[in-house]
Amino acid sequence: MNTSPGVKPRRLGRWVRPTAVFAILGPGLIAANAGNDSGGIATYSSAGAQFAYKPLFLAVVITLMLIVVQEMAARVGTFGGGGIMALVREQFSLRIGAFAVFCILVANLGLVVSEFAGIGAALELFGVSRYISVPISAVILIGVVVFGSYRWAERIFLTFALAFLAYPFAMILSHPDWSEVVSNAVIPHFVGSKAFLLMAIALVGTTITPYMQLYQAAAVADSGAGPEDYPRVRTDAVGGAIIAGLIFICILIATAATIGGTGPLNSAAQAAKALEPVAGAGAEVLFGIGLLGASALAAAVVPLSTAYGLAEAVGAERSVSRRFSEAPLFLGLFAAQVVIGALVALIPVNLFALLIGMQILNGLITPIILGFLYVLSNRQSVVGDAVSSPMNKAISLLCVLVVSLLAVVVVGVTIGGWFGVV
Amino acid sequence: MALRQTFRANGAIKRRQERRTKRILANRTVAEALISVAGLVGRAVTSIGDIEVGRISDVVVRWSGDGYPPVTGLVVRVGRRRAYVPIEQVQSINQDGARLNSARMDLRDFNRRDDEVSLNADVVDHQLVDIDGVRVVRASDLYLALVGEEIRLVGVDVGFATLLRRLGPANRRTRPTPDRVIDWAAVQPFGTGDGSMRLASPNQALRRLRPAELADLLEELGRDERQELLRALDPEAAADALEEMEPGELRELLREMTPEDAAALLIEMEPDEAVDALREFEDEEVDALIAVMPRENAELLAQLLGYDEESAGGVMTTNLILVRPDMTVGEVRRILRSEAEHQADVDAVIIVDSDGRLIHDIGLFELLVAAKEDLVGSLDGGPDPVTVSPETSVAFVVEEFIESRGSSVVVVDSENRPIGRILADDLVDALVPERGKLRFPRFLVG
Repeated sequence: MNTSPGVKPRRLGRWVRPTAVFAILGPGLIAANAGNDSGGIATYSSAGAQFAYKPLFLAVVITLMLIVVQEMAARVGTFGGGGIMALVREQFSLRIGAFAVFCILVANLGLVVSEFAGIGAALELFGVSRYISVPISAVILIGVVVFGSYRWAERIFLTFALAFLAYPFAMILSHPDWSEVVSNAVIPHFVGSKAFLLMAIALVGTTITPYMQLYQAAAVADSGAGPEDYPRVRTDAVGGAIIAGLIFICILIATAATIGGTGPLNSAAQAAKALEPVAGAGAEVLFGIGLLGASALAAAVVPLSTAYGLAEAVGAERSVSRRFSEAPLFLGLFAAQVVIGALVALIPVNLFALLIGMQILNGLITPIILGFLYVLSNRQSVVGDAVSSPMNKAISLLCVLVVSLLAVVVVGVTIGGWFGVV
Repeated sequence: MALRQTFRANGAIKRRQERRTKRILANRTVAEALISVAGLVGRAVTSIGDIEVGRISDVVVRWSGDGYPPVTGLVVRVGRRRAYVPIEQVQSINQDGARLNSARMDLRDFNRRDDEVSLNADVVDHQLVDIDGVRVVRASDLYLALVGEEIRLVGVDVGFATLLRRLGPANRRTRPTPDRVIDWAAVQPFGTGDGSMRLASPNQALRRLRPAELADLLEELGRDERQELLRALDPEAAADALEEMEPGELRELLREMTPEDAAALLIEMEPDEAVDALREFEDEEVDALIAVMPRENAELLAQLLGYDEESAGGVMTTNLILVRPDMTVGEVRRILRSEAEHQADVDAVIIVDSDGRLIHDIGLFELLVAAKEDLVGSLDGGPDPVTVSPETSVAFVVEEFIESRGSSVVVVDSENRPIGRILADDLVDALVPERGKLRFPRFLVG
């Protein structure tokens, strides 16, 4: 079975998992678009409402970053042949690895909170108080996962989330000022305010989320893809990132054209107005269904990615690869995250503000995860000869640095704010 | 695959053994005799006169496959350099560091030899197979001990508490805390990350594992590690293990190989299991695999693939023992002996006429109690055998089973020639829904 050294082994191709309905979705498309969850929708809508077309340039830059990042994750999965957290354990010292695990725990927990906030906000549109909807949905979610009937729930949530496909139509029907769209997309229009800065980091945080990279690498490695398949894997990863970016931009333009300049959003009802050109009076219902589906879907998947990443790092993969009922460690971790996430979402603050706050938290952690990914995807002992070209390397380093700088400035401004400096 | 649950019950025994090891190692004196490799890293190397010459950066052992690998040297960080100190120049090693037996140290660059491995870089925090426990673990720490005159690698710690200890303050970090320790003799390690060293001599204990246990291990290992483990097994054992794997897992494993290697393994598998595996692939992948197989195997697999998965042809085994009525029981027993490797698929011997048409199906029990010189054609054999055509649906086959109360039914073609057999366990596999493992990436739209 040995292949002689120097001869590149030929491998069986085909890595796209055929599934009945979603056959066209490669892991890249799923991974990148998982970022368009409740946090994404809320943040993009709020950015459009508050700053109209001005964040468009940022949206273009963030999309480029997403492409770079998802490509790095796909490369690590293809050539490293393992999950990111397993590689972190093997490639870094234990303390640094533990730091990475901690960051992912915090980022994902933040996301779980925002997903429950999303569920609460969506059901408030239908007149259900979050003090009823959030606990009930947490119980349902744990039940569905424990009793293994998740597949059905997933299909339902995914179908709900398709409601957001209305955004591209809403964008066109809202008749945006296209000349302004183009000029804002190519020429930076920055606003020198703390609110703009926070919005920028929230946009980064919600678009480039650690669990998307964990998923991308794990899905590629899990499909048995290897070096030979890399061109296809890359096309899928980059394509997915571009589509996610386009949806981001559609939401931004649709919101900017309808309610741009009205200030930050503080309710789902306001955000739903952007869908009025398509759905008219049904905009709130459409938005509510979409938000509910996207939030519920991510509320199950994000805790799962935490449990999986943690198990990989600790070396307890087998404890999560069994069926749910056979994996107490896994179940415990999953349930704990859901319970904590739901409890935080019950704190009586504005749900929409909470949602966006969690994206800011995520944005602060993003550069750290990107740093790990950058090192892994350029380390020869992980990816072999597939280390980036100097050009590629420079671009990804630039991305890491820009996001880091943004995070540092936000932290600086916030701390400065406490002391009245800024 | 149906047998796997039974095998897992053995875990209880293993857990007990494990606890016993744990108690021995928790003994204070034993714990103090151990040197933690993770704790050794960063400790001082002193020459005679207690002058520090550098800091330990790694421990190198010689690797031979069995037993306890001896330490052959230390990698020492001197300033910005990494130098190699052979063990002959080391007077003593303890948890606080190493002492050299001369006043000065040669600064030799570290060049790892082929049979050597750097413990800290390539083993700590990496995957290993715990053969006795039949599971894949990650090494939290490794322990050295003085065995006779030599310092050897004796155990691997897989405890979570040990990880926490390594995260703790420096003075706590160095002390061995045997938490859950596995004897090194029962461990199968893997080669170095850069692929420069491959598992030349697998641990002999691997041979003791059952196919289902190997299948479990293969499913849990990372990509490089499982290919390495598979290479270390002989093809027959590898094929037996593959038969026990979940179809989805098996597909990914075969995809990681070249079509030639994958085809070689598929040929070694029982044809019905190989066909089950092939059904998981895309059409063009199947074509690629069949194209590189010897013609005989290719034709058989292609024919079996033609049957519907839910039909008798889709679940039958093609391992039949066909005999003529004028053979003696003694001759038939000899044939059975030579077919021992297929024993799981054989519960009866089929008597056929000169045209290959079915005459009767004689159970093993009857063959066992008959006299050696009897002709098989003269045996009673009980009621006529139950036969089905390959197109018969599995549901109908189940009904036939319930009515006949036999342990198998014979599949015959339109000319009444036997082409396969369906055993009760094939039906169990076909009826019980597949219990896939949980993989995070498969959770979304899996």
